[in-house]
Amino acid sequence: MDRTGAAVREEAVLFGQTRSLVGILTDPPESIKNTNLPGMILLNAGIVHRVGPQRLYVKIARSLAELGFVVLRFDFSGIGDSRVRPDNLPFERSAVSEAQDAMNHLGSARGMDRFVLLGLCSGADMSLKTAWYDPRVVGAVLINPQGDQQDAANELNAFAVDRKISRYYWQIALRNPKSWLRAVRGEANYAAIVRALVFQLRHRYARPKRASSGMNRDPANFRSLVERGVRLLLVFSKGDAGLDYFREVYGEELRHLCSGGKMDLHVIPRSTHTFTFLRDQGRLLGLVREWAQSVTARDLEVVREAT
Amino acid sequence: MVPFYFGPPHKPLFGCYHEPRSGPPRQCGVILCPPLGYEYINSHRAYRQLAVRLSHVGFPVLLFDFYGSGDSGGDDELEGIPPHLSDISTAIDELRRRAGVAKVCLVGLRLGGTLSMMAGAERGDVEGLVLWDPVIDGRVYIREMTTVHQDLLGPSFSRPKHGTTNGTAIEILGFTLAHSLLADLETIDLLAIRRKPAKSTLVLESDGGGGARGLSEHLKSMETRLEYQLLPGPRIWLPDREGGLLVPAPTLHSIVSWIARVQP
Repeated sequence: MDRTGAAVREEAVLFGQTRSLVGILTDPPESIKNTNLPGMILLNAGIVHRVGPQRLYVKIARSLAELGFVVLRFDFSGIGDSRVRPDNLPFERSAVSEAQDAMNHLGSARGMDRFVLLGLCSGADMSLKTAWYDPRVVGAVLINPQGDQQDAANELNAFAVDRKISRYYWQIALRNPKSWLRAVRGEANYAAIVRALVFQLRHRYARPKRASSGMNRDPANFRSLVERGVRLLLVFSKGDAGLDYFREVYGEELRHLCSGGKMDLHVIPRSTHTFTFLRDQGRLLGLVREWAQSVTARDLEVVREAT
Repeated sequence: MVPFYFGPPHKPLFGCYHEPRSGPPRQCGVILCPPLGYEYINSHRAYRQLAVRLSHVGFPVLLFDFYGSGDSGGDDELEGIPPHLSDISTAIDELRRRAGVAKVCLVGLRLGGTLSMMAGAERGDVEGLVLWDPVIDGRVYIREMTTVHQDLLGPSFSRPKHGTTNGTAIEILGFTLAHSLLADLETIDLLAIRRKPAKSTLVLESDGGGGARGLSEHLKSMETRLEYQLLPGPRIWLPDREGGLLVPAPTLHSIVSWIARVQP
């Protein structure tokens, strides 16, 4: 099942309780292999299989392996090449359980017991949930996480929708001659334009009361992770709904969490949700590599001190 | 199902081998040749379903990724057409060895279909060929991809004019198309192929405007047993605004039925 490439080594693996999860294990070149590093596990971005949108996960895996990390990217049950589960476990629970299967596999195949989870969109959300449940997770790279929006209060959802509409009209439609032409011809959605205008004016001058997080559980869980010492990298595309959500739910606390040095937050301007442009993929890869190297350096210091 | 790497060590190809699960023993294996770029990502779910369905009626199936695509080795700067034809030959050898079959059918969607037809015509030993909305004219294909790129990214916060070209390559929805590959793509003209690509050929079209009927007329002039089917349905290789990945059950059913008919 394995094959030696020029730089990094890739191997196809089957694992999980019924060996139904399909993954690709990427090993670093022997010359830079470092058993002190945590294993990296990449979780599906939505229902895109393990290569990731625009093959982004392949690039991330190979890039991290070039730094010395062992990387496993795999498909959750029912996604990509992994079989559908025979039980009726909800996705949020099966995803956490299968991310733990991936950790178990790296534990038995490579002797690892510390892990960094990485994911985009729902992959980021599942990384976060798994980190809450499993103490073996020492770090997480959350790319455009969407948060617990299903459980969030309606008020928060309405705010996110208004903000998205507002951003579209102010940043795109306003500068697009075709939009002006549609407005003159009477083909525009005037109700949406008025809604965007009102939102922008209220946001700028009235500073409305922050939308309630209601029953949302994210902040407390998130804080507990940081207190546990889990290192976090959050990367958002500017304008992504997840960024609006996190800013609204966490507010100033985001800055406090970052100032403690346990969390880094970066916003990539003019990027799509899945980093479609090569330029943005390059920026994202650079951030992930830089963060992984800095975590590595700090981890190795801890290891040296302990010995 | 067994995921594995195969082919020469310097050019590893990734494949999923689906062993026959039930049905009568078949003397023929099926190789699924995927499209490239964003069309590969969008169609993977349907391809996997097709592999499972074929294996459930007794066919050994190899679903593989071209070099520089999917899980195979190589970066996104895809090479020209000839290396892709060589990948199909490597996949044929691998399936014959693994499944112990001499006969092979090729199934290809979009550029995967185009490459399958070119490989079949070049080799002369392909039993059955399924051309699912194949790219018939390379220049039209490039134009379509560019339009999709502009249409999809036009209303986003990104600006398509940034980073879509760098002098040696163009960028289409996050994938690099090197000018060397572009030059090869521009020469694609399936109507210029004169050699029979397979003993039996099925041409499938999702809408009537893709020119596949014209390709069918062209194929009639060769000695291939030809069937043309117009199956109106979604163009699954295109990005879905809701982020969905579509699986066209009637099309998959047609492909499985046809292969089972021509390779009983």
